Amino acid sequence: MSKPTGLLSPRGETGWTSRDATHLLWRTQFGASAHEIKRATTEGLAKTVNRLLKDQPETEEFRTVEPLLRSAALDSGNIDNLKAWWLHRMHYTANPLRERLALFWHNHFATSNDKVNDVAAMAAQNDLLRRESLGSFRRLLHGMAKDPAMLIWLDGNANRKRHANENFAREVMELFSLGEGNYSETDIKQAARAFTGWHVRKGQFWFNRAQHDFTDKTLFGVTRNLDGSDVVELCLAHKSCPRFLAFKLLRAFVLEQPTAAQVGALAARIREHNFEMTPIMRKLLTSKLFYSPTNRHALIKSPLQLVLGAFRALGGRPDLSKVAPLLAQLGQDIMAPPTVKGWEGGRLWITSATLLQRNNFAAALLSNQLGRIDTSRGVVDQFAELLLARDLPASRKRLAGYLKEAEGDPEERLRGVLHLITTMPEYQLT
Amino acid sequence: MGAASVVAVGAQPPALFARAAEVAPPVDPDGRILVLVQLAGGNDGLNTVAPFDNDAYRRLRPSLALNRNAVHKLNDQLGLHPGMAGFKELFDDGALGIVQGVGYPNPNRSHFRSTDIWHTARPDNEDKRDGWLGRAFNVTAARRGGRTPAIALGTGRLPLALVSTRVTIPTVQSLKDYQLQLGQDSSTNQRKRAKLIRELAETPTPAESELAFLRRTAVTALDTAERLKTVTDNYRPATSYPLNGLGQRLKTVAQLIQAGLEAQVYYVSLGGFDTHADQEAAHTALVTEVSSALHAFHRDLKAHGLGRRVLAATFSEFGRRVKENGSLGTDHGAASQMFLIGDAIRGGLHGAHPNLDKLDQGDLIHHTDFRRVYATLLEKWLGWPAKPALVGNFEPLDVI
Repeated sequence: MSKPTGLLSPRGETGWTSRDATHLLWRTQFGASAHEIKRATTEGLAKTVNRLLKDQPETEEFRTVEPLLRSAALDSGNIDNLKAWWLHRMHYTANPLRERLALFWHNHFATSNDKVNDVAAMAAQNDLLRRESLGSFRRLLHGMAKDPAMLIWLDGNANRKRHANENFAREVMELFSLGEGNYSETDIKQAARAFTGWHVRKGQFWFNRAQHDFTDKTLFGVTRNLDGSDVVELCLAHKSCPRFLAFKLLRAFVLEQPTAAQVGALAARIREHNFEMTPIMRKLLTSKLFYSPTNRHALIKSPLQLVLGAFRALGGRPDLSKVAPLLAQLGQDIMAPPTVKGWEGGRLWITSATLLQRNNFAAALLSNQLGRIDTSRGVVDQFAELLLARDLPASRKRLAGYLKEAEGDPEERLRGVLHLITTMPEYQLT
Repeated sequence: MGAASVVAVGAQPPALFARAAEVAPPVDPDGRILVLVQLAGGNDGLNTVAPFDNDAYRRLRPSLALNRNAVHKLNDQLGLHPGMAGFKELFDDGALGIVQGVGYPNPNRSHFRSTDIWHTARPDNEDKRDGWLGRAFNVTAARRGGRTPAIALGTGRLPLALVSTRVTIPTVQSLKDYQLQLGQDSSTNQRKRAKLIRELAETPTPAESELAFLRRTAVTALDTAERLKTVTDNYRPATSYPLNGLGQRLKTVAQLIQAGLEAQVYYVSLGGFDTHADQEAAHTALVTEVSSALHAFHRDLKAHGLGRRVLAATFSEFGRRVKENGSLGTDHGAASQMFLIGDAIRGGLHGAHPNLDKLDQGDLIHHTDFRRVYATLLEKWLGWPAKPALVGNFEPLDVI
């Protein structure tokens, strides 16, 4: 008797190893340190997932530095400073899954400052992403429909009674809730009319009554004087919405090509939990599916995972002003996604050029050009386990050979080995 | 065992360039080259080649219609956008072909889906594993002896059109940065590591997987970096290129062609064509960039005796709605034109301008399937079979 929910049945604690812990942490944080892996191994699955999901107190240093970086960014009006602020959060917060999900939602509601051109609005949108990161997708979608940065990004002010602009209405269905193919061009035109007059004034959402179309619209079989909030609710009630979200969550956290059955199973949980992200993520992160051998080392790291992950694993303090431009080079310029579709990720992160740059990042990292890293302690096997967490006997033998034959003092040779590990194709995977 | 693993067993590591040179036939010095230029975002074809006196055009575009005195007239009905003086010169020289009314049935108005359709050449199939050129690379792999068939320039990601299940196409953002850096320790150590990095990347992988893909790409990257070392930095173009992004990317393409690289397809892209609001200034800047960059590129190649060896073709995921919107812009539309640039093509207008009095949901209706243009580029230009690339039979056009 296998119910559809069986696809997400819980893994349980039995046989929990440091490799399971490494897998969980790399997929939910930006990399994992030896200390974090050790703690998660000892504490077990349920306790670790609880810690990831529940608010943890931030360190005193974080509570001091983070607000300073944020106000510096807002005062300067320079988006690069806001990027550095977010990177600081990602690297130093005690709540890394919150930041991972904020990034997930940033990719989902991909908004670029290249057009918004307003640091305060980008910061406010980022706050919303974080506030609902482990909160409610329902509130998030409603919030986004009235978010000033989003309204600027998708031409809200151009959406007027007699001249409906379809930009937001199209994306709210295609990219934010239903997915392509689950609505018609007529649906978009009707929804656009419902959002007329949803404008921005002085950096705030403003309902411009004079430009709102108060006549009847028909969407998904409902005919009345719909407004934007009604459209959001109708999208959330649409059968495609939980499926669309399930597909994206599975691709971001579990596997590259989710099956229809896996999507269906998670979509059912999303509906059951009424779009509340904490129970949904708990279900996912404690499922057998998440830990299945075929889903290990199966996702290509994003530039953020690659770069911050290396610093976290090697105990480094990155120079964040250098990290943001590096990420842009590698194809992940946060707060400036290439299109409203965000970063598609997976194999699309990788071209021969970006792979070469990923390798060159490893060389720069180990020459301390991007911040200090500490490699004074540790041996080859320890680092290979920390960074790769898999059996690669032939490759490990080659690494040991290099350590023996290379020139220089032990630390220099060890850094050479780390350079080799971090340029291995295996290191690109998580 | 699924189809994917069968593919993987057959997949050779693309032992490109230098190492392949021993076994590959020599590069054909007269070989033809295709430069594909993507205009991303949906170019407003109607204001690129404008029917300046057409009543419907003037009525539906009260603010945006181009003025008959400003356009570069191609005949008594059609004119190029005022910013396209370079294209007008090419047109007069017979080096510009304009294929009008290009599109596909049941046009999709989503940027992403329509872009995928143009890249995969498969409007009825959502399979995104490979693109139309990628499939052509598969069937022509043997005759290249492992050398790369294409290079993508300046794009963040590999365009889907070039994605193949067997061959990994290099993407080059800048020649200067395209080299493997090895850190700061002794040169002996660096040499050792360079060798090991390749060995660790070349370890065989049994089945098709993300890892197999990463290994293929790593080998392509290392080979390409080796090959590009020989491309000197002192290229002297015969004309000055405009200092815009497309101009500079095309200059790099000219440099690579001059250096005798073996790629037969180059890919460049220019974005920003999604002109929903305040279109006029933005669109003028964009079409001026396209026109000036391709004009300089053609002049440069011609001066180097390459005018007949190189054909550039533009495409965009869709044209734009005929009726302007309320924000002095235009929304997503359907049919549009494709430009062909080179000395070996038949210059002039090909096919009628779409009828503005007969629209489909406010959009121009195509009369020429874009896959017929692709078939032309494959069969009549590159000499590659079109059928496997386009997964069907499409009659080539008489434009070359």
